[in-house]
Amino acid sequence: MPSTSLAQPTWRSYIRAALAIARKDTIVFFRYPANALFRVIEPIAWLTPMYFLGKSFAGSAGNTGFAAYTGTNDYMSFILLGAVLANYIAAVFWGMGYALKSEMDAGVLESNWMAPIPRALLLVGQTLASLAITTFNSAGMLLLGWLLFGFQVSGNALAAALILIPMLVALYGFGFAFAAIVLLMRDANTMVDVSNYLISMLAGSQFPVQVLPRLLLPLSLALPLTYGFDAIRALLLGVRPLLALHYEIAILIGFMAVMTPLGYFVFKRIERYCQMRGTLSMH
Amino acid sequence: MDTHIAEPWRAGRSLATELRAVLMIARKEWMIFRRYPSWVIALFIWPVLMPLAYIFTAQALGGPGGESLTRFQQLTGTRDYAAFIVLGSILWMWLNMTLWDVGMYLRNEQMHGTLESNWLCPTWRVSLILGGALTKLLVSVAFILISLLEFRVLLGVHLLAGNVGLALLALLLTIPIVHGIGIAFASLVLRFKEANAMVFLVRGIFMIFCGITFPVAVLPGWMQVIAAVLPLTYAIHAVRAALLANAGWAELSADLLVLGAYAIAAPLLGYILFGIVERGARRRGDLGQY
Repeated sequence: MPSTSLAQPTWRSYIRAALAIARKDTIVFFRYPANALFRVIEPIAWLTPMYFLGKSFAGSAGNTGFAAYTGTNDYMSFILLGAVLANYIAAVFWGMGYALKSEMDAGVLESNWMAPIPRALLLVGQTLASLAITTFNSAGMLLLGWLLFGFQVSGNALAAALILIPMLVALYGFGFAFAAIVLLMRDANTMVDVSNYLISMLAGSQFPVQVLPRLLLPLSLALPLTYGFDAIRALLLGVRPLLALHYEIAILIGFMAVMTPLGYFVFKRIERYCQMRGTLSMH
Repeated sequence: MDTHIAEPWRAGRSLATELRAVLMIARKEWMIFRRYPSWVIALFIWPVLMPLAYIFTAQALGGPGGESLTRFQQLTGTRDYAAFIVLGSILWMWLNMTLWDVGMYLRNEQMHGTLESNWLCPTWRVSLILGGALTKLLVSVAFILISLLEFRVLLGVHLLAGNVGLALLALLLTIPIVHGIGIAFASLVLRFKEANAMVFLVRGIFMIFCGITFPVAVLPGWMQVIAAVLPLTYAIHAVRAALLANAGWAELSADLLVLGAYAIAAPLLGYILFGIVERGARRRGDLGQY
């Protein structure tokens, strides 16, 4: 078997390093079993009030008011799909955004950065772990959603998964830039928390964006994620899309094409800035 | 030795001395709060942000012309779903803040390595918690006032139109309940350590059963039984009825009596639980472990 030593970098050694980082993150995640379990259960605590809120508006013909906006009266499947996609946004903001900060707090960032691999690879490894853990959590959440709220989809799951790919690549590209910004700001909890909540809300994770007031609607429509949420719901639930699907897919591909290199560029600039200022270990 | 740090009436310390200790701890906590501007900023942002998602969802469920609002009105007595949700959310956020702040107070001291040294002070240990709780209470009052103001200005939701006096009475009775729950929670966190998971569990139970964003009447029977045991259900119902339906004493007396009973029971329960956990931690010698 040819050597994949990190001292002689090759694509294989890079892949090995990324997988080792992903494995490390996965082990850390499952070392706190109660927290891991609550990552699946906690969203149900937020979704259950939505379910009963829907019940308090439902007449004998179901949620006709909701159907007038969306084309479906299955509001719980609409919200559950939004919650799954919002999980990935939260993973990028909290997981990726705090990836470097957590290492800084634990005092291992400097030693990790001495490793003979490109520094962006540290984030690639964390991205892989984050994607795997979030997918695992989301699957658990959908299973609970199916058991408790009758979650069901009827459309083309493969096409929806294909649409998810450019959206996730773009999101994690943004995560690179965001991780670097958090590294720069250090005390960024409120910024991360508020940004995560606002972006999920404006993208329509819980409701059709048509209900937003005039002041907020342009912000929502300016977010490429809004079209990702919309296209996936259109394919899986038969919801009336905001734009024709091919336009929404083009927006997502454009988002990916811009955000991925931009995220990498911002990360490199801030990394250099931190090195020059010598603030890597300060927190 | 134990008598020096026992209850003030047994240890021969005056209540004025104990009060001074409480105020000193409150001052220390206030200084820490002010040192983190992002905490102050959060106080202005979350009151509006958290209920917004539920309000927009309710708007979507109501339909473009509000055609589904009739059913909501039959269940709640009001078409003003925004005010209905805002009132429930404010009370829930208050409990959530108390769980995080009072509940995590001892845990944070434990994590910082200062709990054991604080425990050695010749002060009643309950004063240590009361001092922390006093600052959080001030922050909570600020939070509620900011919420009322922001909803009035930003969303035009006017919450002070009904029977403000009885709503205020319900809120006053809720203060010892929320802090009693907070102290009981702090004791459990001290014992079981996994604080985040416990906050998620406790606040989740209140979120699901107390009718924060929906009328309790839509819950299935077994869930309504659980809702009837939780004090926040009565607080939310009383405040909503007073402010949105201008309910008087005759309609609210039952809720207020239950709240009064909980206002005595919850701090007592917190105190007893704290005593048990504290004694257990000293016996096992794991007070400083986390």
